[in-house]
Amino acid sequence: VRCQQYPPLRALQASAVLSGASDEHKKDSWASSSQQHFESPPAGHQPEEKSQGPHPSYTGQGGQESEDYESEEQLQHRILTAALEFVPEHGWTAEAIAEGAKTLGLSVAAAGLFHSDGSELILHFVSECNSKLSELLKKEQKLVQLGEAEKKPIDEFLRDAVETRLRMLIPYIEKWPQALSVLLLPRNIPSSLSLLTSMIDDIWHYAGDQSTDFNWYTRRAVLTAIYNTTELVMMQDSSPGFEDTWRFLENRVADAMTMSNTATQVQSTGEAVVQGLMGAAVTVSN
Amino acid sequence: RGLAAGPEMHFGFQTVTEEERREKIYQVFENVAKKYDVMNDSMTLGIHRVWKDILVHKMNPCPGTLLLDVAGGTGDIAFRFINYVRSVRQRQLQRKLKHHQNLSWQEIFESYQNDKFNNSLGDSQVVVCDINREMLKVGKQKAQHLGYSEGLSWVLGNAEELPFDDDKFDVYTIAFGIRNVTRIDLALQEAYRVLKPGGRFLCLEFSHVSNPLLSRLYDLYSFQVIPVLGEVIAGDWRSYQYLVESIRQFPPQEELKAMIEDAGFFRVDYENLNFGIVAIHSGFKL
Repeated sequence: VRCQQYPPLRALQASAVLSGASDEHKKDSWASSSQQHFESPPAGHQPEEKSQGPHPSYTGQGGQESEDYESEEQLQHRILTAALEFVPEHGWTAEAIAEGAKTLGLSVAAAGLFHSDGSELILHFVSECNSKLSELLKKEQKLVQLGEAEKKPIDEFLRDAVETRLRMLIPYIEKWPQALSVLLLPRNIPSSLSLLTSMIDDIWHYAGDQSTDFNWYTRRAVLTAIYNTTELVMMQDSSPGFEDTWRFLENRVADAMTMSNTATQVQSTGEAVVQGLMGAAVTVSN
Repeated sequence: RGLAAGPEMHFGFQTVTEEERREKIYQVFENVAKKYDVMNDSMTLGIHRVWKDILVHKMNPCPGTLLLDVAGGTGDIAFRFINYVRSVRQRQLQRKLKHHQNLSWQEIFESYQNDKFNNSLGDSQVVVCDINREMLKVGKQKAQHLGYSEGLSWVLGNAEELPFDDDKFDVYTIAFGIRNVTRIDLALQEAYRVLKPGGRFLCLEFSHVSNPLLSRLYDLYSFQVIPVLGEVIAGDWRSYQYLVESIRQFPPQEELKAMIEDAGFFRVDYENLNFGIVAIHSGFKL
């Protein structure tokens, strides 16, 4: 699926404007129908480059300028999105990024902007999947609020959320083990861990108030364990439509539910036992 | 007109005019051309090979890259580039074959046909450009001797005024050459001009050592040993005196970085090799 909302020409436009400062610019031939600004840069392009600050981007600020002006970060974002298409063939590598850059009209050397092990590409993909999941969960929640859908019981909700998220891996499943190992590199662990925890938190957030049985940390740990183990099972799964994986998921979620019930049971049994002992102690003392 | 035919410049530790500088440098390289590689090996104790390897590794070119190697006289970078791209291409082909395990004889035959068509370099090409005819001659002889023929071309040209069209190349390299360019700013602007959007600028050059102890040792070695080696091996003390002096006159890392940014490049940074004896500067045309 190509994320090309903007034709390749835009990349050239963007780069033309980014570099539009210099007067000796011979890029007049690229002056397309839309806006082309050769404004003098505020003290060179440094502010834009270093602070990555104001992103007067596609949100329509400042009229004409906004559509052409693109920060380096956004350009990187676009290159990585375009590169995803080539991952099934080339893996999570600089080659995939190079191909992606080519589709945007940039030189293949632009892959040099990123690490050669593909870390940024993988992290980008994970964060995109997480955003997609959030969107879907939000939509679902809205439907429930509007009364157009039934509120799911907690175990079904968790199961569906994890399944939806894992299904996003299917087009890339062959190369996903490679991605997992890259995510475990010490350099990447902070980012990959934070992406994982924020996704888990997101799911719990949309799960609603039903989650009062667990306390906050156990909730996180339980769902993280379910997600990670299911992901690993999925890597090995060769059943049609990954039905083995979904069955595994169902069992793990069920386990988690019984565990929470057992936990409360244990707690209340514990309390009962303590009370019994107290009573016995009082009786004995009297 | 006055005595000076142009602005004052440095030639090593002497002060000369722009024109004189160009002439003198031309003569230096005319004299050393035949012994250039031998001298490199003896002066740097062979370490220059590692520096050049690191440069090409940093470039990480994929097949299909178009490289312009400026001041590339004897072809060191060009040959390394070809080797690198060839091995990447091999790996690509192996991967493709692994994918297609069950090929009919017809398909195998066709795939061999296709590979002959797209040469073993995957359409990568390198253009070696140098201002000095003697250096190019030596380079061509070396290429013939080592067996490099595909994807290689030799062009006589001045880095300050390249004989190429705009937006042609994926990567521009200049290894140990920018020091000898009289107007560095013009060379950088030309580099910017001939690069495609997304293209990469890479510069390998002697730079400044910040560590004081090392700096003293380095100075000692440079001024006492190298000119002597020059006299003994190449029979030309003056040229190597010039070389050592020109290294001292060259702008340090941060200054060169600023100059590259002025030419319009983004994401400019440098990597010190051997504590700053040599530095690789990199920038992107975005």
